[in-house]
Amino acid sequence: MRYELVEIFSVIMFFISFYGLLVSKSIIKSIVFMVIMESAVIMFFLSLGYRRGIYPPIDGYDYLQDLERVADPLPQALMITAIVIGLSVTAVKIVMLITMFRKYGTTDWETARKKSLE
Amino acid sequence: MLAYYVIVPILTAILLYTVRIEKVARIIAIIAQTGMFGFAVYLFALTQDGEIINAIGNYANVMGIVLRADALSAVFVLLTAFVFLIAAFYSFNKQTSKLFWFLLFVWQATLIGIFLTGDLFNVFVLLEIATVTVTVLIMFDRNNRSLYDGMIYMMVNIVIMQFYLFGLGYIYKLTGVMDMYTSAALLNETAVEQLYLPYALLMTFVALKCALIPLFSWLPKAHGTPGAPSVVSAVLSGLHIKSGVYLFLRFQAVFQQVDGSAFFLTVGTVTCIAGFLMAMSQKDIKLILAYHTISQVGLIMIGLNLGGPYSHIGGLYHVINHAAFKAALFLTAGIIEKAYGTRNVYEIKGVLKGMPVVGAVTVMAVLGITGAPFFNGSISKYFIGSGVGMPMSGIMMFINLGTIISFIKYSGILGGKTDRGVTKPGKIQQGSVLVLGLLCLSLGLWGEWFIALLFNNTVHVDRMGYLEKSIIFAVTVAAGYFIFKYFVKGSPLFERIRKIDLSFKAICAAMGIFFITVLLSVSLL
Repeated sequence: MRYELVEIFSVIMFFISFYGLLVSKSIIKSIVFMVIMESAVIMFFLSLGYRRGIYPPIDGYDYLQDLERVADPLPQALMITAIVIGLSVTAVKIVMLITMFRKYGTTDWETARKKSLE
Repeated sequence: MLAYYVIVPILTAILLYTVRIEKVARIIAIIAQTGMFGFAVYLFALTQDGEIINAIGNYANVMGIVLRADALSAVFVLLTAFVFLIAAFYSFNKQTSKLFWFLLFVWQATLIGIFLTGDLFNVFVLLEIATVTVTVLIMFDRNNRSLYDGMIYMMVNIVIMQFYLFGLGYIYKLTGVMDMYTSAALLNETAVEQLYLPYALLMTFVALKCALIPLFSWLPKAHGTPGAPSVVSAVLSGLHIKSGVYLFLRFQAVFQQVDGSAFFLTVGTVTCIAGFLMAMSQKDIKLILAYHTISQVGLIMIGLNLGGPYSHIGGLYHVINHAAFKAALFLTAGIIEKAYGTRNVYEIKGVLKGMPVVGAVTVMAVLGITGAPFFNGSISKYFIGSGVGMPMSGIMMFINLGTIISFIKYSGILGGKTDRGVTKPGKIQQGSVLVLGLLCLSLGLWGEWFIALLFNNTVHVDRMGYLEKSIIFAVTVAAGYFIFKYFVKGSPLFERIRKIDLSFKAICAAMGIFFITVLLSVSLL
């Protein structure tokens, strides 16, 4: 199995952002790291459809003549869905954070936990 | 045809959101739920002749999204329709808003979608919708506590979805398909070393969805939060957690080459024991039930991985049984909480006298969950433990002892007298919980018949063996009562266990630890 550079990079990025989730004290930073994590997964998927020396199956290239050298379009189609879902879920997360900030007056995980038990 | 099972609830949800008069909306909801239950029974009858495959958009089998209904998914769809029917009847006379009905129906659609789809990416999409829906339902009353609980639930579940998507990427890299069944066939021919990483990623995801031991901490927050209506807790505990068990079964079929059953048996046992220890230490009635769900899911995992002659069927039957008694317990707890105005288990007294029907249903559900003879829990626990050697059958007895001790504590609410003014519950609410209570009894009395009907599997309960288990049950109850009275009550150890509460960072760390453990255990063993 061959590993493309972008694929290795996306795996490293995934685990760096996971480390970020382990250490960030602020909820905002947690949300940012989750967005980075999503981007890493999206990049990983996009790398699946790519090999060196292949062409996208769009106009300008007669792909039906040479099916061996056509890029797989499915990961991109899936990732458009994942990006849209990620966007809307991030919006929900931020709305929740705003509501939480109005109630507790903090964006810190520990303080929020203490306030919730009061 | 199968797509209608997902589309109809969503269209109903939109319809309910546009109806202005609240009473009309409730009646439409009841009619729609009854219809869905009828459709589910029809689907179940159809799948008896073999599985139904629908390709969406008429693309060929592997190219597009495929919906499949085999016998297993039909059982889960039937369970979903039944639990939501009861939930709709339960909320009929309550002051409910349009948003509540909307979210309830969307939630049902996503769950049915998860049970019917054959496409792994589709599962991701549906679970994301389910997560957002459930988060809003958890924070429905927007009080102080539930905001934080909802936040934890949402963040943890979104993080684990990235693990799932990452594992999916690896499956796609290896096979080039997203279809569960085709990828299972293709992965069978792949070298086993390449499967470890996607297996570990997907199993971490499943373990969090099932709330197995290091990853349980979001569950009591979500299921026991004061902000969520009781009907939401009941559906979460009775049904939503089973989507994790269902996906576990499916992923096991996808990764036939990787054998993780020893690992999941260990984790299931630890989950089971830790679950009842934490349940014993709680004072809040809803939290006792929520922690108990963790313990029962551990028991289901034991059944599915034990490898005894009837263990697997026992585990599957326990999924149905757990839905019946846990939904009954959560719904009655909701009625009790409302009537008494408190959730402290020591302050509630005299439920049997004040509310006879609710009390009786609680008794039936408690007998079911503790595995009393003639009730449903006893049948599934009997099958999980039958034909299994000594260390495991001893552990099963210990687990049952723990379950009994925690429910002796819970049963304290039944007896005695109360001086509080107790408000009477509505008739429809009482009726809907009574159906669940009677179901607990009938699933036990005609256990063999139900197993033959639902799982198409002929099993026999050995009379002598069952009698032996019943005697063991009676002895265990006596032992449990003494242990509760002299060791558990007011013990400082349990005070300390009650304070265990993982933060978001700790839950993420637990995910990482679990992921590494699965990876090491499957690759080294």
